[in-house]
Amino acid sequence: MKPPTSAKATAGKEELGTKEEKTWCPGCPNSGILNSVKVALSELVTEGKLNIKNTALVTGIGCHGKIYDYLNLNGFNGLHGRVLPVCLGMKLGNPDLTVLGFGGDGDTFDEGVSHFVHACRYNADITMMVHTNQVFALTTGQATAVTEKGFIDGSTPLGQGEKPINSIVLALELGATFVARGYALQGPHLKTLIKKAILHKGFSFIDILQPCIVYHKHSMPYLNKNVYKIEETHDVGNLNQALEKAREWDYSYEKDTKVPIGIFYETARPTFESQWPQLRTPWHTIRRKIDWPKITREFL
Amino acid sequence: MEKTILIGGAAGLGSAVTSHFIGKLFCSLGYYVFNYRDYPSLIKGGHNFNILKVSDKPVYSHEYHYDFILALDQKTIDIHKKDLKKGGCVYGAKETEPVVQKLQGPNILANDVLIGLLFKHFGVDLDVILNSAEKVFGKNADLIKKAIQEGYQLGCEKEKLKISKSNYFISGTEAIGIGAIAAGLDVYLAYPMTPASPVLHFLAKRQLENNILVFQPENEIAVINAALGASFAGAKAMVGTSGGGFALMTEGLSLAAMTELPLVIYLGQRPAPATGLATHTGQGDLKFALNAGHGEFLRVVLSPGDAREAITRTEEAFYLSNKYRVPVIFLSDKHLAESNYTFNEIKKSALPNERFILENPPQDYKSYKITANGVSPRAVPGQGPVVRANSYEHNEYGFTIEDEDFAVKMQDKRFKKLDFLKKEITKLNPVSVYGRGSNLLISYGSTKGAILDALPKIKNFRFLQISYLKPLPAEIISREIKKSKKVILVENGVKGSLADVIKQETGLTVKYKILKYDGRPFTPEFLIDKLKKI
Repeated sequence: MKPPTSAKATAGKEELGTKEEKTWCPGCPNSGILNSVKVALSELVTEGKLNIKNTALVTGIGCHGKIYDYLNLNGFNGLHGRVLPVCLGMKLGNPDLTVLGFGGDGDTFDEGVSHFVHACRYNADITMMVHTNQVFALTTGQATAVTEKGFIDGSTPLGQGEKPINSIVLALELGATFVARGYALQGPHLKTLIKKAILHKGFSFIDILQPCIVYHKHSMPYLNKNVYKIEETHDVGNLNQALEKAREWDYSYEKDTKVPIGIFYETARPTFESQWPQLRTPWHTIRRKIDWPKITREFL
Repeated sequence: MEKTILIGGAAGLGSAVTSHFIGKLFCSLGYYVFNYRDYPSLIKGGHNFNILKVSDKPVYSHEYHYDFILALDQKTIDIHKKDLKKGGCVYGAKETEPVVQKLQGPNILANDVLIGLLFKHFGVDLDVILNSAEKVFGKNADLIKKAIQEGYQLGCEKEKLKISKSNYFISGTEAIGIGAIAAGLDVYLAYPMTPASPVLHFLAKRQLENNILVFQPENEIAVINAALGASFAGAKAMVGTSGGGFALMTEGLSLAAMTELPLVIYLGQRPAPATGLATHTGQGDLKFALNAGHGEFLRVVLSPGDAREAITRTEEAFYLSNKYRVPVIFLSDKHLAESNYTFNEIKKSALPNERFILENPPQDYKSYKITANGVSPRAVPGQGPVVRANSYEHNEYGFTIEDEDFAVKMQDKRFKKLDFLKKEITKLNPVSVYGRGSNLLISYGSTKGAILDALPKIKNFRFLQISYLKPLPAEIISREIKKSKKVILVENGVKGSLADVIKQETGLTVKYKILKYDGRPFTPEFLIDKLKKI
């Protein structure tokens, strides 16, 4: 086992990687996401906009979570569905950290949906990237909350009965302040989204379409055909326009519908962290002197 | 001097505030007060009452026979009058209503009339009472002071209290709060659940002056995961809950063990299963606290017997959790949390409130370095080297692994801490023995109060209080049991879980059990009565 190089003040794309063996399926679009993240971080560091030492990532459990092992960054590979609370806790533990969350669509919208709801409300300065492959791939392809109606798998042989959650609409309705969608196979575009999301002050959500090539084979050809970049005329400050754009595609595959990618919405709102005036410096740098008579005076 | 005072009324009428006021005033005059609080799970109406036991000697429990009944409604008199001692007094609407009418104030003033009446009985100077009222209710509490004055004039002096140095009047909740502050708490997270919520309120109210952060996330699952995120980032984190919330936290507890991130969990017990008796007390979660979480892992479970112990045990919880990178469960209950105790001094622990974080971690830092005692030196993000926490089995750097050899190495690494923890705990008075005699009472937690107060009244009994339940100081417990004739467990539960735990750890059987599972704490009287039958 060779020691990994530490994350330095400058971070080339190579330095952001690790020597761990990639165990994603050959050809899995997750590799594209990994690459876009590395390039985005590397560029932000070069541009002087990111301190890599103060960057930490959180992952859930599922195929997406393997990214924890492939990024040479401070990292917390947590429980299935619990990415967002860990991200939030990191910000409460050290407000100087740039926190990146990675979740799966099952992870985020099945097991952990309550946390997503509240993360949008809280508006902590974190970036949440959801690898949307519309299946629980690592457990052999069961339907998630974002899987299209009618999908057949091991747990739904009669066909998935419900309509999928439109996570973009959900995020917009719940008050997320940066809402975007990227496509794992459009690396440079995704990289730009990730950079913007990280620089946004507040809760940034990127729904990253990551077609599973084993358990959800029909999505990649569909997306390759139908994905388009949101027009420059789109007003990212207009919530109604954003919702309209978000409803263009409902995550199903019955007929060809255009799938918009890009920034749907961006707005400014005070961050979650700003409500505590005492949350200024990393706690671990504070030496606490205890004034015992002062603490106990009220009981005398 | 020893007097028992009951203050009762529907929820919202003020019995909790008034009992605290009375208790604190007695304490400030040098008396010892135990304040027991009994209330149903509702906001307005019902029947709440507090029992104050006031004495010139230390007192740790209540009783159900009263020298005074201070009634804020008729129901209080109807329910409790049968328990009035011979020569006892009942004060209620007869005394308070004319005053409230005369002052044309709100009905809540009845409380203040009763306060005036009571302290006149004990010959306490009116100025002392009024000063105290000003301190609690503010300088503009004119109406309150008038009502106290009116009540005072109605009463008649029957005794004259001897006044000495002021004592501390503190609840278990407050003790946990200041213990956490003394231990260097940075972040407290909790979702509301009785009886743990008062710690959330206590710390939230004092967060700015103590430079700590308090937040209530969306549920207990978020609470424990966020606390681990904060801990990873370098904060000293604590969470608080009761049984139901703790059940939701168990996956996170297992995560705390796997990631080896320090975390203190305050578990305030109440009777279960399920929602149980939400506002009452019980000790039914002992085995749950000892065993919760999937997988096999180390944890510390400790339990204080009164508010003074709650301060230092909270500090120990932080110390052990941060030093050994293990989750520590601070096991208590409603009775300790919501009762007020009196002490002539309260001390903090002699343990340092160290963070146990490396000042300058090496560039080739390993988050899970295998060391002689199993504890990997801790670094945090931002210091330079990459820091990792992984819920998957991992190597020393924290990368995910599946190979057999490393799986064994890491399980062994985590358990290596046990021997060192055990040694450390022997220095922290893991058990205490009180009294003399050949028979032995055993308990843990808040039952201590009633047992200590019963002990002088029963012959030939020692009391073994167990404060560390995991790792259990089995040798000392064995020794005490072996040298005793009758061994009796006292527990606020249905089955007497501690006896099973002792059996498992020592092989010894605790033959007798005095159990109480009506949601109410023990009283010395109840214990003495049960002991007669053994």
